[in-house]
Amino acid sequence: MKKETKLKIKIAEAATGRYIENRRFTIQSLAKELEITPKQIFDLFPNRSSILRYYYDSRILIYREQISSIKEYSTFTLSEKLNNIFLSLLDQFSEHREFVLLTYRDMVGSPVRSSAFEKLFKEALREIFQSDEQIATSAKILQNRFLYHAIYLQFHGLILFWKNDESHLYENSMALVDKWCALQEEIFYSKIVDKGFDLGKFLYYNSPINFTTSCALTAKRSEA
Amino acid sequence: MSDFPSSKYARGKIFAKTGLKVGTNYATHYLKSLANGTNDKSALHKKSAEQVFGEFTKLRGTALKIAQSFSIDQGFLPEEFSEVMTQAQYKVPPINRSLVRSIIKRELGQYPEQLFMDFDTRAIAAASIGQVHKATLHDGTKVAVKIQYPGVRDTITSDIALARSLFKRLVSDGPQIDEYIDEVKNTLIHETNYIREGESIDRFHERFSSHEVVTPQWIPDLSTERVLTMTFIEGVHLDEFLNSSPDRESKNHYGQILWNFFHKQIYDHEEIHADTHPGNFLFTPDGKLGVIDFGCVKSFPEEFFMDYLRLLPTHLHRDEPAIKELYYRLGVLKADPDTDEKENQYYQFCMNFGYTFAMPYLEKSFDFGDPEYKKLIRGYTKNAPITNEPRGNKHFIYSTRVHLGLYHFLMKLGAKVDTEGSQKVVEDVLSDALNDE
Ligand SMILES: Nc1ncnc2c1ncn2[C@@H]1O[C@H](COP(=O)(O)OP(=O)(O)O)[C@@H](O)[C@H]1O
Ligand SMILES: [Mg+2]
Repeated sequence: MKKETKLKIKIAEAATGRYIENRRFTIQSLAKELEITPKQIFDLFPNRSSILRYYYDSRILIYREQISSIKEYSTFTLSEKLNNIFLSLLDQFSEHREFVLLTYRDMVGSPVRSSAFEKLFKEALREIFQSDEQIATSAKILQNRFLYHAIYLQFHGLILFWKNDESHLYENSMALVDKWCALQEEIFYSKIVDKGFDLGKFLYYNSPINFTTSCALTAKRSEA
Repeated sequence: MSDFPSSKYARGKIFAKTGLKVGTNYATHYLKSLANGTNDKSALHKKSAEQVFGEFTKLRGTALKIAQSFSIDQGFLPEEFSEVMTQAQYKVPPINRSLVRSIIKRELGQYPEQLFMDFDTRAIAAASIGQVHKATLHDGTKVAVKIQYPGVRDTITSDIALARSLFKRLVSDGPQIDEYIDEVKNTLIHETNYIREGESIDRFHERFSSHEVVTPQWIPDLSTERVLTMTFIEGVHLDEFLNSSPDRESKNHYGQILWNFFHKQIYDHEEIHADTHPGNFLFTPDGKLGVIDFGCVKSFPEEFFMDYLRLLPTHLHRDEPAIKELYYRLGVLKADPDTDEKENQYYQFCMNFGYTFAMPYLEKSFDFGDPEYKKLIRGYTKNAPITNEPRGNKHFIYSTRVHLGLYHFLMKLGAKVDTEGSQKVVEDVLSDALNDE
């Protein structure tokens, strides 16, 4: 990871703490905390909000760094790779839980506005699906923008679940990720699709939250 | 009966016949009546035994643990039960490699590649409520890392509630059944706390480190309630050991260590490793016996412990008045067997089984590999009188598991052990208890 990127991440993570204390924190106070000059921050970010958004974008960068350190990553199954991206993000969010709960919906979970995080997330998903050799040929046609969007919406659902998760270290959220990814793998590795299984319908009935569901359907319609 | 060739077991054989007859009748009658709905318990009329058993499928990992608790896997109950409850489908599916990393990160603060010099994300063994991984610490120490499946604790609580209602359909409702279920429930809940297990590992290591037994050492810095790190013990399980066609001497050697380990625990009468299951013992290359899995350790109340031990000499001497008194105290008998036919059936069965069970303590050495003895024990355990009225002190659940587990292990191993020393252990502990009174 480049030195500049590391600094940007450090600034963004410190900013999440500032934000919890005071939503209108000043760049000066942030610079002081990090023992750098405000100019150094302004060289990297145009404004406060871009710093906070970068917190989200950089989660994907850290996720990518992590995969490169997992020796056997290339042997992971589809389910394990999906688990990995969900859990990596969830692990990271758990470290800044308060901030994430305050800002997630506005910054990345908005159904109308798309974010850089969304783009990076979907790119990572595409890599997971396209690099997988075991996926049944027939299931390959499902790998389109709609699929990545649907999974992205599932991720929002997971965050909502995690928000209300009172179990030890959010272990129920982990269990949900595990079950959901196993189901995905089942769909893509087996020939369920061949039997005319309709993914749209499937997602409709399985979405953890309703707004996800309606978005999934809207997305389907707009793709069609 | 030609089933039991005449030999030194002649005495056990006669008793066994009565026992078997009673046992077979009870078990088959009971299961038949369940299936036909002719059992007197009205709730059972609607559900056949199969349907009820079928519902155990909802229990998964917990069912396996319950089965193990009641020694069902040791052939203590009829096959109809054991088949349903020990099927692979009840095992918890393996934890995928990403989840393993994430659990370690959450529990221990960092990902495995940061914490360990080497961490194998593929489990070396599936445990009933989690799985075990092999890893190497930065200082080169080989360790075993046991990881619990997320949410298991909650599952156990709800599974036990379901099991309770199922059992209550199978047996007559009473305070006894609740007592048994609570005993199993508390034990299982304790088993989910790996800190507790780590502390037990420490205590056992202290007690047995200078012995022919090896036990792991706990590594508390890398342990939490859900992740347990301990030193790794090289060795093979019973099946693999037997596959290597070991000679008689080597079988006897390991058998003797296990027998001594068990009696040393009786001698100390502190805590007892209460999960005598082949998975929990390792045959190490340097001729030691590895003892692992301290999730289920028990300290029996003194009174029960002594009464349980007294069963051995009283049965060997067939001291019926003393046996009866013990049976009353231990909740095996509820009325006088001389006047009550049902009680008499229980009494005969238990007394004969008890005698057979005490046989190894009769002479200087005992050959657990003797096929006749195996046949006898199997006859009793398979045909135990399953009535819809469970009996006996709740502590029997785990004392039986330990003792029967020991016998099954030694029989499978085919070991001949020196039992003279252990007779003395039992005598000493009992006479100490007398002196204390
Ligand atoms: N310290 C250890 N050294 C070597 N193998 C171990 C160790 N601990 C556990 N194992 C392996 O993992 C398996 C399951 O571990 P165990 O503690 O018995 O789990 P459970 O409590 O679920 O029965 C064991 O049968 C053994 O093969
Ligand atoms: Mg075990």
